Amino acid sequence: MKRMLVAGFSACALLLAVAGAFRAGTAQERVSLSELAKDPNQWVMPSLDYAATRNSKLSEITTDNAKNLSVAWTMSTGATRGHEGQPLVVGDTLYFESAYPNHVFAVDLDDYHTKWEYTPKQDPFAVSVACCDLVNRGVAYGDGKIIVDALDGHVIALDAQTGRTVWISKNSDAEMGQTLTSAPLIVKNKVIVGVSGGEFGVRGFLTAYDLNTGKKAWRAYSEGPDSDLLIGADFTGPHNAGVSTWHGDQWRVGGGTTWGWYSYDPKLNLVYYGTGNPGTWNPSQRPGDNKWSMTIFARNPDTGMAKWAMQMTPHDAWDYDGVNEMILADINVNGSDVPALVHFDRNGFAYEVDRRTGKLLLAKKFDPAVNWATDIDVATGRPHVVADKTPKAGENVQGICPAAMGSKDQQPASFDPQSGYFIVPTNHNCMDYKAFAVKYKSGFPFVGATVKMYPGPGGNRGAVIAWDPSDGHIAWTDPERFPAWGGVLTTAGGVAFYGTMDGWFKAIDTKSGKLLWKFHTPSGIIGNPITYTHKGHQYVAILSGVGGWAALGLAAGLTNPTAGLGAVNAALDLSNYTQLGGDLVVFSLPQNS
Amino acid sequence: MRLLLTLAAATALGTVAAFTPGTAGATAGSANELRVCADPDYLPFSNRAGAGFENQIASYVARVLHERLVYTWDSSRGAGGFDQFLRETLDAKKCDVVTDVPYASDGILASNAYYVSSYVFVFPKRKHYDITSMDSPVLAHLKIGFETDTPAENGLKLRTLILHAVPFDSTDESKAPPATSEMLAALASGKIAVGVTWEPAIGMYLRAMPQFDVVAVPNSRSQGSPEQYAFPMAMAARSGDTVTKAKLDRVIAQHRAELTRILARNGVRLYAPSDAAAGL
Repeated sequence: MKRMLVAGFSACALLLAVAGAFRAGTAQERVSLSELAKDPNQWVMPSLDYAATRNSKLSEITTDNAKNLSVAWTMSTGATRGHEGQPLVVGDTLYFESAYPNHVFAVDLDDYHTKWEYTPKQDPFAVSVACCDLVNRGVAYGDGKIIVDALDGHVIALDAQTGRTVWISKNSDAEMGQTLTSAPLIVKNKVIVGVSGGEFGVRGFLTAYDLNTGKKAWRAYSEGPDSDLLIGADFTGPHNAGVSTWHGDQWRVGGGTTWGWYSYDPKLNLVYYGTGNPGTWNPSQRPGDNKWSMTIFARNPDTGMAKWAMQMTPHDAWDYDGVNEMILADINVNGSDVPALVHFDRNGFAYEVDRRTGKLLLAKKFDPAVNWATDIDVATGRPHVVADKTPKAGENVQGICPAAMGSKDQQPASFDPQSGYFIVPTNHNCMDYKAFAVKYKSGFPFVGATVKMYPGPGGNRGAVIAWDPSDGHIAWTDPERFPAWGGVLTTAGGVAFYGTMDGWFKAIDTKSGKLLWKFHTPSGIIGNPITYTHKGHQYVAILSGVGGWAALGLAAGLTNPTAGLGAVNAALDLSNYTQLGGDLVVFSLPQNS
Repeated sequence: MRLLLTLAAATALGTVAAFTPGTAGATAGSANELRVCADPDYLPFSNRAGAGFENQIASYVARVLHERLVYTWDSSRGAGGFDQFLRETLDAKKCDVVTDVPYASDGILASNAYYVSSYVFVFPKRKHYDITSMDSPVLAHLKIGFETDTPAENGLKLRTLILHAVPFDSTDESKAPPATSEMLAALASGKIAVGVTWEPAIGMYLRAMPQFDVVAVPNSRSQGSPEQYAFPMAMAARSGDTVTKAKLDRVIAQHRAELTRILARNGVRLYAPSDAAAGL
């Protein structure tokens, strides 16, 4: 095993890449990524497919035999911080990226030896500006390359067979408070990359790089003039709103980062993603809707041009970033079949949108505790905000639900067409907001807000729910002690899988939510399960390794209840259940059964 | 998600000057010991050698109380920052006093304030910049250094001046302890044209760098909501430790002039409470 560092590889790597051939590899390179994603035996995209369903057609594991699942193989990731991603399986190789320092491994599924390992050289300043643990959400695969996002903002293409560096691009600047934690999405010959952090008031953006060269193809900002937002005549929303909904030129520091998941509809040729909170914390200091923060965007991946945009939380005061995954599903909503985009937002509302036009069809609470708004006006998409639950300068506000980490954060849901349900991992914390606290950064006083998070009504801090999209109701709820900060996998065997922050990996009946099996992994789980086959048998893999915002106290050694933007209080007892440490854990049925 | 939770707002500055004469009584902790927690490596505030202004304040308080000064050292700049420092030191009863916290801080029992200082603009005198507030037009054309996660960052952000500004983080533990202020070094080398920082963080070094002008950043409402740049500073006792607070308040009431002299000797400039309230 040889550690490949960034320096020293350039054009020669390209030549070597062409010469190599791995089993099933050359055949795969001829088919497009969308064709490759149709093979249920592999898992070639972070969210399984362009529609981000995380629904596998594999069915060896069923509701009847899931109780027999056992560990097939495991591997340490060599990193201890939060593992929010998932492996890929391409051919007979499993790839995964660890939390910072972002080790990348290619593992042979025949004998589990490491074909190659790669760790990027990074600017350590990124560690100090990452807001919510040093997480990573996985690599992408395309055209024989593994695309790696590094925390310090570098995007790196590696030869999938050798691990050699093909190209490196710098997407963002850690010195400006920007980091990179999301998983890229490859669409045709473009690598779609977001940005995290965006502190010091920088505008968020989405960028496309040429898959072959790493050259920047386009960059679309979240705020500013239409030319910066890549908004043209085709855009169906208001023009110049990226400037006109801001006071003065505050759009220049508008925030709206893009650190979530990206999906794609090949037929409509549109990429979908969400933007995060506006740049300045104090809402009274940035009057206006602050478009296009907190927004679902649809863009042409070839040009970056925006087709439509829908802002969910205008003039955000709660930190309800709109970056959660956009699941594309053809479903029946209110009696009509529609190509929909379904999005479970941090603000606690599920949005069901016609993905062709951005027209909102249905928006309902997916946690009854949500109280910052009574409902969403479906005609305009605007929330009816409850003034008593709105943080504002000069007032202390108690009992805001959800807390800033939302009714759901980045942990991706799954759409199961068999049951018709979306299986959604959710958070169930509320918060108090104290506006007037004098605070201290060793040596430097300031006036800040103190946020304290705590369990919502019922005392559970999370739940996995089944969402029936036809009329927007919760079909069943499995409460969890901690926020359900890991993603969900559904399968054609009728079994759904997810992990918990206290370390359990669970198989449940998708239809009923009934627990079928569980296993306690080495660390808490905030990663997303995948499934694949090898030599004719189905495997389910999960990255175990607690951390992330919800477990920031444990990950960063914080015990002050209001630290971690108030999140530490909500998980002070996590160390009674688990400890840090990254491991890949893979399960299967006993092979002789 | 964000690092900074800064909200500019007014505090009850009127109470700063209201001394509460301490009542005589038993002292907290071990008899005849003043147990202080401080950062061992964070000049100009404190260090193990006792060279920081906080060290000298602590020594003086111990002397007038006829108590032996006992330190517990812990970095206040690690993960979780100052709040975590307090939790692991003062809250954990490893000490009874921290000598420098903002008055009205949460999670501690603050003494009465013993000085008021301010965020300042600092720039070479020879440039004669016309800088009187965050709204001074010349700032639009200057490269501005700022300390991250402070009112300076928020004030620059509100005016979009941050787009041509350079971040500094004095609390970055990964860097070697400073021989001088990194921001002043950047000013001296021309990397930045003006810096915005908390005056006590640079005052000690400014005495050897007379080429710099210092102008207090006035509190402001110009952007529609209050921004606070001047802060009254106090000592901290543990929450509920009214005995230690009374002891500290007594020292502050009876020895304010000498405390002020110690600060001045270390280049910490004071701003009267009326200055601190100006503009709010």
